[in-house]
Amino acid sequence: MAFDYNRYLRLEKMPTLWCWGCGDGVILKAFIRAIDKLGWSQDDVCVISGIGCSGRFSSYVDFNTIHTTHGRTVAYATGVKLANPDKHVICVAGDGDALAIGGNHTIHGCRRNIDMTLIVINNFIYGLTNSQTSPTTPKGMWTVSQKVGNIDPTFDGCDLAIASGASFVARETMLDPRKLEKIFIKAFEHKGFSYLDILSNCHINLGRKNKMASAMENLEWIDNITMPKKKYDALSKEEQINLFPTGILHQDTNADEYCDMYQEVIKAHQGKRGKITQDEFEKKI
Amino acid sequence: MATREIISTGNDLAAIAAVDAGCKFFGGYPITPSSEVMHTISDLLPEVGGTCIQMEDEIAGICAAIGAAMSGVRAMTATSGPGVSLKAENLGLAQMAEVPLVLVNVMRGGPSTGLPTRVSQGDVRQSRNPSHGDYRSITLCAGNLAECYTEVVRAFNLADRFMQPVIVLTDETIGHMHGKAILPTVEEVKAGIVPRKTFDGPPEEYRPYECGPTEPAVLNPMFKGYRYHFTGLHHDSKGFPTEEIETCRKLIQRLEDKVMAHTDELEYNEEFMCDDLTGEKGEVLIIAYGSVSLAAKEAIRHLRSEGVKAGLFRPITLWPSPAKRIRELTDKIKNVLCVELNIRQYTEEVERVSGRLDIEGLYKVNGRAISPYEIVNKVKEVF
Amino acid sequence: MGTFETVNPGDQPVWINTDNCKACDICVSVCPAGVLAMVYADSSTLGAMISIEHPESCIGCGDCELHCPDFAIFVADKKEYKASGHKFAKLTDEAKARQEAIVKNNYMSLNQGAR
Repeated sequence: MAFDYNRYLRLEKMPTLWCWGCGDGVILKAFIRAIDKLGWSQDDVCVISGIGCSGRFSSYVDFNTIHTTHGRTVAYATGVKLANPDKHVICVAGDGDALAIGGNHTIHGCRRNIDMTLIVINNFIYGLTNSQTSPTTPKGMWTVSQKVGNIDPTFDGCDLAIASGASFVARETMLDPRKLEKIFIKAFEHKGFSYLDILSNCHINLGRKNKMASAMENLEWIDNITMPKKKYDALSKEEQINLFPTGILHQDTNADEYCDMYQEVIKAHQGKRGKITQDEFEKKI
Repeated sequence: MATREIISTGNDLAAIAAVDAGCKFFGGYPITPSSEVMHTISDLLPEVGGTCIQMEDEIAGICAAIGAAMSGVRAMTATSGPGVSLKAENLGLAQMAEVPLVLVNVMRGGPSTGLPTRVSQGDVRQSRNPSHGDYRSITLCAGNLAECYTEVVRAFNLADRFMQPVIVLTDETIGHMHGKAILPTVEEVKAGIVPRKTFDGPPEEYRPYECGPTEPAVLNPMFKGYRYHFTGLHHDSKGFPTEEIETCRKLIQRLEDKVMAHTDELEYNEEFMCDDLTGEKGEVLIIAYGSVSLAAKEAIRHLRSEGVKAGLFRPITLWPSPAKRIRELTDKIKNVLCVELNIRQYTEEVERVSGRLDIEGLYKVNGRAISPYEIVNKVKEVF
Repeated sequence: MGTFETVNPGDQPVWINTDNCKACDICVSVCPAGVLAMVYADSSTLGAMISIEHPESCIGCGDCELHCPDFAIFVADKKEYKASGHKFAKLTDEAKARQEAIVKNNYMSLNQGAR
C-alpha cells in the first residue's frame, strides 16, 4: 500500500465534511486509485458533481472540477465533453440528484451514449438536507417528509439506464473497495456512457431512524439486499423481489458513441463525406 | 468602416454573428420564435469545427452551454421568454461563478405560454433580474436587422470582458423579419474579438477569483495545467466553497461593482433627431427600444414634417440603464412618451432615474406591433 | 486541516493519522487479526480514537486502509516492507479470537470497557 493519495487531493480542504463512516470517503479513495492505475494526467480529467453530500466530491479532488446546480450534472458534462471530446469527463451525483430532479438529463445522457461516466452514489435518501425521501428510499422507511412511513414506490436506476441506452451499466457497493476500484477502471475505460449505481451507507440520516444507526449495521443491510448477478439470475422472480444484482449488468462495446457520431456530422458539413442516412445504423427506430 | 450587405432574417443574423465572433458551442432547445437561430447555427458551427447540440430541455440547453464555456470556449444559447424562466437558476450559477455566456431571447407574447408566434417586449423586467439573489444584469436590445448581428458580436466581447452572462433581446418581429442588413466585414469582426483574460504564471500561484474590487475573475480554460473549482456556492480565491464573512461580502460586492464601476464601457444609446431639442415648449422626447424604435423613427419623421420637434432616445444597452443620460434629457424636455410592447416595464426605470411621475406611455400587449400612426396619434392626444 | 503521512513513520506495518480519524469504527470492524481497537479520547468529537494495539499481528491485507473513508490509516506496501527486512504476520486463531472479542466489546479496546 503506502499509495500517494496526496497527489490527487486538495489537501487544504481536508478533512472532508462527510460524517464519520460515510461511504463517500471510501468511494473517493477507490476513485483516486482507479484514476492512478489508468495513468491519466490530472489535467485531462474533469470531475463534475451535483448538489448533496456527494456534490462535495468535486471540491476534494485535484482535477478540473465543477459543482453544478441540483440535478444538472450530466447536462453540464455534456457541454464540457462535446467541446473537448478527447478529455475524460466523470460525473458524481446522488440518488436524488441523478434520478429525481436530474432524471431527464440522466435518461438523455444514457440515450446519447456520450463517452463519460456517471457515478450515482445511491444512499437511498436525501442525506445533506436531512432525510427527505428520494426515488430509491425503501418503502415503509421513516423519512422526515414521510414520518409515518414512505409510501413512494422505488425504482431501479440501472434498469432506467439500460432502457435509456447506456452502453455500460454496473452496480457495486461499499462493502468491497477493491471491487469498487475495479469497476471504476472498467467504467472509465469504456467508450460510451457508463452508469454506475454505487450503494452507499447514510447511517446518520437514513440509518439512525431506521434501526441502522452505525455504519456497520447499514453496510450489513446493504450486504443483505445485494447479490452478484450470476446468483441473482438463477433465482425465481419471488426470490429476486427485494434484491439488487451487482456487477456488470449490461455492456455493449459496439454502440455508437455520440462524440464520434458528431465528428461525422462535422465531416458532412465540411464536405468530407455524404449525408448521414438510415442505412448506417442497425437500430434505426 | 468596411461593410457588406446581407439579406437575411434577424434570427439567422444572430447565428451568423455568433460564429463570426468565435462562438464554438451552441446548446439549445426549440422554442418559437427563436428556433431558427439553432437551425442556422447547426449548419454553421460544424463547418468551423464547433458543436451545436439540441438538448432534451431548455435547462439542459443552457447547462451544456455553460459547461462548454467553463471549459474555455465561447458559447451561446437562444430561447424565448418561457425558456429564460426555465434557465433562471443556471443563469445565476453562470453569474456567480463568473462564466461568460451569450443568451439570445427572441421575445414573444407572455406571460406563460402567451402568444408564441407574436411579438412583445415583455421580458425586459425579467432580463434585469433573471435569477434570484443580487444579480447585476447586462442586457442588450437589438433595434433593427443589422443589430441582430452587431449586438451579438458585442455581447460575446462583453461577456468575456465582464465574465458573466450577457442577454441579447430581440423580438419576434425582427427575429422573423427578412430584409437587408449592412454589416461590418468578417475581418473587422475577427479583428475586434477581445477574448477573456488569462493567467500565465505558475499554476501554484493561480488564484482565479482573487481580483481587484471592480474586476472580474480571471478564468483559464480547462485542461491546460491550471486546475481550479467552479461552484455556485459563495467561494474563495481558488473557487472553493466558503462561509467566511468577509470573503462572502467581498465576493457579492465585487460581482455588483465589476459592472457598475464600468458602465461607460457598457452604455450604448442612439439619439435620433435629438440634436435640436433644447427644452422649448412643444418639443417631444420619445423613448423606445427594439423593433418598436423602427415605428418610432417613422412617427418622428412624420411629426417633424408637421412641424413638431420630436426626437427618439433609444437605449441599446438596456441594463444597466443609461441613468445619467435619461435624467439629462428628461430634466430638459417636458413632454416624454415611452412606447413599449409591455405594460410600463422600461417606463418605470425612466421614472426611477428621472424622478418624474408624469411620463406618458403608449403600451400594447395584444401581440401586434405598434404602427407609426399609433405613435403620432398618441403624441397628439397627450401633448 | 489534514496532514497525510503516507511515508511509513518507522518500519511499521500499519500506522495512523489521528488528525483525520472520525472514530467511525469501520477499520476495527474489518480487521481480521485484532490489530486495531478504539480507545477513549476526550479531545475527539465522538470521544474515541483509533489505536494500533497489536501491530505484530498485522497480516498486511490492507482492508483497514481501503475501508477508511478519511485517510486516517495506512498499511505498508508489501514489496517495500519486505525489502526493508520485515514480514507481515500470518493470521492465527488467537488473533481471530481477539478480533471477535473486540467486536463484541463494541469495537473498544479490551483494556477498556464498552462505551
